Amino acid sequence: MRIPVVVAVVTSTSLALAQPPEASPPQEAPPAQKVPTTGRVVDMLGKPLRGVKVGIEGTTERVTTDAQGRFVLSAPIGASLVFEFDSYQTSLATVTGDPLGDIVLLNASMGETIELKGEAPPAAPGAAQLDRTELQRVPGTGGDIVRALTIMPGVVNLQIPLGYSGVVIRGASPQDSKVLIDGFEVPVLFHNIGFRAVTPAETIATLDFIPGGFDVAYGRASSGIVSLTTRPGGNKRAAQAEVSFIDGGLIAQGPAGGKTEYLVALRRSTIDFVLPALIPDSVDLSLTTVPRYWDEQIRIDHRLNARWKLLFANLGTDDIFELVASKQEDAKDKRFFNRTRFMRNTIGAKYHEGEWTADLGLSLLLQQFVFELGSNQFIDNKLTSLTPRVEITRTAAKAAGLTDVVWRTGAEVQVGRYAIDLALPVEPREGEPMPEIDFDDTSTRFNGTVYTPDFVGWTAVTGNLDKTIRATTGVRADFFGRARQLAIQPRGEVQVKVAKPWAVRLAAGSYHRPPQYQSEILEKNLQSEKSLQTILGVQYEPREGLRAQLSGYYTDRTSLITHGAPPPPGSSRVDSGLVNEGRGTSVGGELLATYRGGPWFGWLSYSYSHSTRIDAPGQPKRLFTFDQPHSLNAAASWKKGKWTLGGRFQVYSGLPFTPALGSIFDSDRNIHIPLYADPNSERAPIHHQLDLRVDRSWKAGPVRLTGFLDIQNVYMNTSVVTFFYNYDFTQRSAFESLPIIPSIGLRGEL
Amino acid sequence: MRLLILAALVGCGGDLDQPWDLDHDRIVAIRANPPAILSGETSEIDGLVAAKGALTMERSPDQVIVAKPESLASALTFDNGKWIVTAPDEAALDAARTELGLEAGASVPLQLGVAYGETLFGLKSVALGNTAPNPVLGVMRIDGSEAPAPTTEIVVGKLVDVPLLVEANEDDDVNWLTSCGTMHDFDLPSAYLRVEVEDLTEGELAVVLRDPTGGVTWQVWPIRAE
Repeated sequence: MRIPVVVAVVTSTSLALAQPPEASPPQEAPPAQKVPTTGRVVDMLGKPLRGVKVGIEGTTERVTTDAQGRFVLSAPIGASLVFEFDSYQTSLATVTGDPLGDIVLLNASMGETIELKGEAPPAAPGAAQLDRTELQRVPGTGGDIVRALTIMPGVVNLQIPLGYSGVVIRGASPQDSKVLIDGFEVPVLFHNIGFRAVTPAETIATLDFIPGGFDVAYGRASSGIVSLTTRPGGNKRAAQAEVSFIDGGLIAQGPAGGKTEYLVALRRSTIDFVLPALIPDSVDLSLTTVPRYWDEQIRIDHRLNARWKLLFANLGTDDIFELVASKQEDAKDKRFFNRTRFMRNTIGAKYHEGEWTADLGLSLLLQQFVFELGSNQFIDNKLTSLTPRVEITRTAAKAAGLTDVVWRTGAEVQVGRYAIDLALPVEPREGEPMPEIDFDDTSTRFNGTVYTPDFVGWTAVTGNLDKTIRATTGVRADFFGRARQLAIQPRGEVQVKVAKPWAVRLAAGSYHRPPQYQSEILEKNLQSEKSLQTILGVQYEPREGLRAQLSGYYTDRTSLITHGAPPPPGSSRVDSGLVNEGRGTSVGGELLATYRGGPWFGWLSYSYSHSTRIDAPGQPKRLFTFDQPHSLNAAASWKKGKWTLGGRFQVYSGLPFTPALGSIFDSDRNIHIPLYADPNSERAPIHHQLDLRVDRSWKAGPVRLTGFLDIQNVYMNTSVVTFFYNYDFTQRSAFESLPIIPSIGLRGEL
Repeated sequence: MRLLILAALVGCGGDLDQPWDLDHDRIVAIRANPPAILSGETSEIDGLVAAKGALTMERSPDQVIVAKPESLASALTFDNGKWIVTAPDEAALDAARTELGLEAGASVPLQLGVAYGETLFGLKSVALGNTAPNPVLGVMRIDGSEAPAPTTEIVVGKLVDVPLLVEANEDDDVNWLTSCGTMHDFDLPSAYLRVEVEDLTEGELAVVLRDPTGGVTWQVWPIRAE
């Protein structure tokens, strides 16, 4: 649930309003009620700033901070506060009714930077948020979003990302969670090589991680949400370049006229220049097209007038990779080719006046996925998807016996057109072991067009029942056109402030994921997968900057898409049909403690999870493929002057896998058909590692340079990720984590 | 999944025995001679079997059963130490076609389950109601010279690439296998062998050729590196 948040956005002077995430599920608009608002203004080192002028935008009301940097003033909820101080960038914050926490002012010479400080309550019990600075400071992540996600409680930790989103949340498959950028889904979060996110952390304002219990404005997911919000360009021209052994990129930003800001980012892999030199001559490999990627971003913000703001956002990425597993480049039977690219264009408009707020968005996604293996197997999937969306928010100080009321209602249409040409073997589902690799197997064939016209409407009301209880109730109705299925999903949350600094939150709701992942799209009769989530959270905030939250969850999953009852042992699967016969449960608990104060940033998360599945009625219960009972992440970073130092320690359980017992040799096909033990009946061993990161900044003329060294797995612990089997499944070899991964880079800002 | 496929394609797997390795307990190929027979004709089942630390052998399976169709179980007999398939009459084949959902006149695949000892299991099909021979190995060249007779020892150098070539149609499936040296491009008609320092210096070299109709043939040579 999104509830009124305590958000302070430090941004540029030219914006009339603080920038909430454009086109993302909107924040509630404020009522005109005035509330006492407190906070503290500090510099980058956490030192309180005295004499900072704090005013309400659009009025002459103004106060000044005291020696401790503190201020108190009365302001309407939803109003923007302006912070002005000599030699510092002007900043903005949004009044929400709660203390604003620390407002960090940046030196004017530091270039345009956006930070989010003053912690907002999590979007749901167990949810968490990281801002850009924190994303870049977490050691072991290389400043990358994908790796930063692994510190989140409830996210399965592994040395390699899983699925296209790379995010396995609370015992659910990667496709059960959605990754949104500026409110719209992106099909791929990371590049094939280097496992880097498709958008650099420098262009991100915030990362919201909602592992469950999310708001009615989010949908098409049965597990969690990862929502990235890009940042506007600011009112000062600036440029930034960064290069490392993995990739290099440029970002340019600034104003265009008095009401417009732009941000342009371009990045290209550099690992493809390094990789060929690392492959020994003895390996039978021809890198016909060295793995490489591009990604780009354009964001333009325009303030039309006091009420309307407009946005254009473009995000694109292109990964390509081709190799021949032979020195003979014309050995087409040994060729592997993969290309994944997409471009999303979004135009948005936000209206705000008094008690009314409206968010309008129109987004076009163009995506292509090409995969070719040997001479016969291939898939070429082109998706064109158009998504118009509108959400209206109305606030009221009092209504129907409630106070501080927020009512939201919205609608969205998502029409997808898939042009698919494929010839592939039957795709294994979650829990099914890898079948025999037969490059001639093209038992799944399709060449045609599939339309997925989906419609959704939602509405929700949030209000205070009394001074200690705030509740949200809402409903979302999805109509999945291909399946001709109407999915009504009620959701709600109650938040009780037990006694300062304790708060308790209980959320529950129904969630649906439509059948649109890989081969599901070929089946007309599949229905959506369902989950019922219940989450109980306790939050403890003894003082500003320090927060601990403990949450427990239980998720019941039904209508899971499976192949139904498995074929008899030893036989090849011949039935490719998918059915909604699976069931599953996930139960777990999570602890997240964060500290943000002065030069320190600390993070401690621990997750316990147990997730099981039953593939068809009468089938035995088995472990979920990504079941990870224990995961602990402890990270801290410290910033002083030109130096930033950080470390992260992680320890987590290995994942289950299905061991092979042997094989039967099919002489005519010249392949070995594996025989497996019970699904997921073994587990890889526990893994632990320490990561360290150091950044140092300095000036060289007009350029501000930052060099960084990010070392993963400092003490070179190797552990088993999974196992590879030999050709006849009589031997296996561990695929181990990489012993040490140093990343070194240089960033320049003009 | 893509990672696993890619790993399989490029042969990741540490110190695991490779698919070209003859120094490993395995069935290299199962042969029906001939692979397709008409009613009343017979086909003999045998195979090429490799063993760790021993030479490959052409021999009859220890056990063979009819996996499907069950109605043709009597087509298989064991006679004088040989497993023999005899194609039944057209009426029985028609019944089998009905059982398997095949069109009238289509050849009926008789799928056999084959066992060598208690650990090596395989599948082999014999096409009934049709006729076809096993393929014949064409031109073969080893280290630039015409391949010698099967019993003739091949001598190659150490730490040099020894090119191997066999004539094959585009649809044929070729495997080069060895227990002496490291094979490269083992599944291409044009492969090469290189005996590394850590490799065995004596063993066997084999080539197996399969055609798309289930026919198979092979040849094995003794080989030594010096």
